Amino acid sequence: MIEGVKRTGTNEWEVPVGYIPGMRVPGRFFLSESLGSMLEPGAIQQLANVATMPGILKNSLGMPDIHWGYGFPIGGVAAFSLDEGVISPGGVGFDINCGVRLLTTPLGRKDVAGQGSLIDELFRAVPTGVGAKSSSLKGSAKSLEGMMIKGARWAVENGFGVSRDLARCEEGGCMKEADSSTVSTKAKQRGIPQGGTLGSGNHFLEIQIVSEIYDTSAAKAFGLSEGQVCCMIHCGSRGLGHQVCTDHLKVLEAAMRKYHITLPDRQLACAPLTSPEGKAYFGAMAASANYAWANRQMITHTAREIFSRRFGIAYEEMPLVYDVAHNVAKFEIHTVDGKQTEVCVHRKGATRAFGPGAPDLPSDLAAIGQPVIIPGSMGTSSYVLRGTDVAMERTFGSTCHGAGRVMSRSQAKKRLSGKEVAADLARQGIIVRAPHENAIADEAPDVYKPSDEVVGVVHDVGISRLVARLTPIGVIKG
Amino acid sequence: MSFEELSHTADVRIRVRAPTLDMLFADAFAALMETIFGKDRKGGCRKDLHIEAADTETLLMDFLSEVLFVCEVEGLVFSSASVTIDGKSLAAVLDGEPFDRVRHSEGTEVKGISYSGLAVTRDENGYMLDILFDV
Repeated sequence: MIEGVKRTGTNEWEVPVGYIPGMRVPGRFFLSESLGSMLEPGAIQQLANVATMPGILKNSLGMPDIHWGYGFPIGGVAAFSLDEGVISPGGVGFDINCGVRLLTTPLGRKDVAGQGSLIDELFRAVPTGVGAKSSSLKGSAKSLEGMMIKGARWAVENGFGVSRDLARCEEGGCMKEADSSTVSTKAKQRGIPQGGTLGSGNHFLEIQIVSEIYDTSAAKAFGLSEGQVCCMIHCGSRGLGHQVCTDHLKVLEAAMRKYHITLPDRQLACAPLTSPEGKAYFGAMAASANYAWANRQMITHTAREIFSRRFGIAYEEMPLVYDVAHNVAKFEIHTVDGKQTEVCVHRKGATRAFGPGAPDLPSDLAAIGQPVIIPGSMGTSSYVLRGTDVAMERTFGSTCHGAGRVMSRSQAKKRLSGKEVAADLARQGIIVRAPHENAIADEAPDVYKPSDEVVGVVHDVGISRLVARLTPIGVIKG
Repeated sequence: MSFEELSHTADVRIRVRAPTLDMLFADAFAALMETIFGKDRKGGCRKDLHIEAADTETLLMDFLSEVLFVCEVEGLVFSSASVTIDGKSLAAVLDGEPFDRVRHSEGTEVKGISYSGLAVTRDENGYMLDILFDV
């Protein structure tokens, strides 16, 4: 393990105050011994940097998929007090509300045998990759305003879903604090033509089979059964969110001087939650988060239409299990010093994992806990877990968000051929479609940590519990 | 043109060296274009940019962020840039072509330019820059 880091439990580690100057609280992260061997010192430096931010509460937290990012580490979680705390785009990222959702179908493995043509049809229908523009919506200033203010509800009201979908989204698919007046004209220009597009990088749409059930009653409540075909969608707020981050980062960087805040990384640029600059970023970030929920809802609609037509199933027979955000800051109630307190939780590459009885859960899931969707890489399993009371107590109701990379994109392109990776996956029964073979090499299973080990740690620590495992049979990449 | 990709697991980290600040910015721009669109980029279409900022790093951030915006909104892909920096202001003439899905899909979208680790340094050999693109 990295020097200066203390072991505090089987899968728990502490970065003590004093690891770097100015830390206000300890860093704490959850990692197995073997995942620890892949940990980069840069990620721990970033975890410590976050601990220097004004108003941080309890700990600067790292989930087991922690890795080196910018500003916060990826897999980083921190909560800030409302009166002394700050908000930072570096704790959210450029892809605001990058997130993931899971849909079930009434189909089994045999129904989708020879899935190549299904994957081809999905690839043609969902715009992917660099330069992708919406095919399902002629975007306008009015539609954009709807997406930013109403989020997934706008999409449902405009025929891209059913009202039940909303109850199955974190936050109901809409942050009420959205303020489109703090979203720049440039960001709006970028957002108008991109509704319903996947983007590139690690974004995907994947067809999966439920291959193992760990928790029968939770799986039943989530609508999951062994052998079932599912559809997972991973994407975010596209150019709109990227521009909002860029614009407000500049404003908050300048505001740091005004508020006498000094931090070790300029990407942690922040302002007090009570300041006009902090409020403006929060409003624009919430508008971007809403756009992302509408975006995933539109892609969901395209997938449902294709499945309905090809397999003769009703649109409603593809219910949403849940939709979670990976990159977001939210006002939530958590226990601090024994008192229920409203705080601002930043999750950067981390997933909300609310336990049983928490607010914002649909009533039929209140006794189970929030569904947590953890995507794997193209060739490895994805998982469904449930949120727990332990997460509420220890991680501000948060858990990991994915496998986490171990190999850079440049190394991946040097070492791996996209064609060979696709051929290898095809031999395993996984069909991959992408705009270019580089996108396949970039995201090959070998560039990620083993997803089973990452979810094994969160399960063992208890910040979420395993419900089901899903294996891929077809992927479209951006 | 002089840039190299450094190791970074999640994103794209680039090191640029150049004899002048103008060339340093032009090479950082070239690295950004290659990351997103690959190497097959042609000229023929001109775009002028003017940027002002408080310091060198912010000038670079704003320049590259503006390029991201122009590429996306105007559907352009640039092959080269001529950059002139005068104190806190920058003038750039970009040469490019319309986006072509077949030729320009080799790279990956850049979501933003990060301040993390961003530093322009100068020694007897000229200028050096480390910069991180979020992809």
